[in-house]
Amino acid sequence: MLPDFALMRPGSVNDAVAVLDEDHIPISGGTELLLAMSLGMLAPVALVDVSRIPELRRLETDDTGGSHELVIGSGITHRDVHRHREIRATFPMLAEVTAAIGNARVRAQGSVGGNLCFAEPKSDLMTALIALDADVVLAGPSGRRRLPMTAFVEGPYTTAREDAELLVEIRVGVRPSYRARYVKFQTMERPTVGVAAVADDDRVRIVVGAVGPTPVHRDFASVSEVDVDAVVADVEPLPDLAGSADYKRHLTKHYVRAAVEGLT
Amino acid sequence: MSDQTTKVRAVVNGEARTLEVPNRLTLADLLRDELGLTGTKVSCGMQVCGACTVLVDGVPVSACTYLGVGIDGREVETIEGMADGSTLHPIQQAFLDEFALQCGFCTPGFIMAAKALLDDEPEPDERTVIEHLDGNICRCTGYRPIVDAVLKASERMREAADD
Repeated sequence: MLPDFALMRPGSVNDAVAVLDEDHIPISGGTELLLAMSLGMLAPVALVDVSRIPELRRLETDDTGGSHELVIGSGITHRDVHRHREIRATFPMLAEVTAAIGNARVRAQGSVGGNLCFAEPKSDLMTALIALDADVVLAGPSGRRRLPMTAFVEGPYTTAREDAELLVEIRVGVRPSYRARYVKFQTMERPTVGVAAVADDDRVRIVVGAVGPTPVHRDFASVSEVDVDAVVADVEPLPDLAGSADYKRHLTKHYVRAAVEGLT
Repeated sequence: MSDQTTKVRAVVNGEARTLEVPNRLTLADLLRDELGLTGTKVSCGMQVCGACTVLVDGVPVSACTYLGVGIDGREVETIEGMADGSTLHPIQQAFLDEFALQCGFCTPGFIMAAKALLDDEPEPDERTVIEHLDGNICRCTGYRPIVDAVLKASERMREAADD
């Protein structure tokens, strides 16, 4: 049973920012939020429904001001992402990751913004977006700010978003040539390990997610210089029902290798 | 202190409804308790099992973890809307023909999930059917007859469309 709450439905980012605080929290798909509320972990005064704000539903390439970026509004669902023809062509790894999140209902209901703001350590999406060097744009009472995904995730279930801020969109630079691969091992509701590898002309980025409190990443100059043991050493595995710390380190080693070998 | 409510206008199984919905009511409870549509079941209550699957604007959602007020301005389809009078929907008929249910508790959820798939992709292969239904749990049938039923339904629906 959910606790009682007021429902607010702002029509714009500015209207939403005007009301957000620790007691008035944003909701889009609600897949994590409503669960937390029904378990008695959260009882906000109000839910601020941002799911219908047009600016949060952008899914397109932005070529203004010399940039060439994919803009994903925070209200876009995982289903929207993996069905988008342009994303499937230019970011096939991202399409693959979003097509495998949760199940068909979670993908249709859950928003990318909600997933990132919840900062669940086992989020596939966070791992993939860090590998793609994505930035997030936050809107608050004193204006907007943009920061890299690596700075947005601060810890398990903790992000840099202030209570009065709204995650507006995610921006991913479109690169002329890059190869990417995402591999994961999963037997339960969430993955045990997820590894993203993205290689372009300048560097290879390896990101290991789901194993520790936050995704960890390491960059190398080229594929041949990838030091698998160094990546494994960076990871702080959390033992749980999915396995012991040693087992997770073992899985990490194999999946990092698989991700690198699978770069296409 | 009474619950806070929101006025909601939605289409439920083809019928336009205007409702004053308590904000805290889930879609599952709205359907079952307020609208008397008890075909949608609640099992795990945490969106894992799929028994509560209904379609909102054509996509499958977990009614147990979806706000009733969230259907405002949207179209909702539940199991009660599948049959045309006394004529079963091809998916329902295929479930019967393939013995794809025993206790029947998961069945409305599976049928709505299957409808979402076939409306979007009329000719799925077996792998696609299995992956799409991955989020629905059945404890009775062992799943084989359910997959067969969805494939049979897709075949029949395509034949009917060709006529």
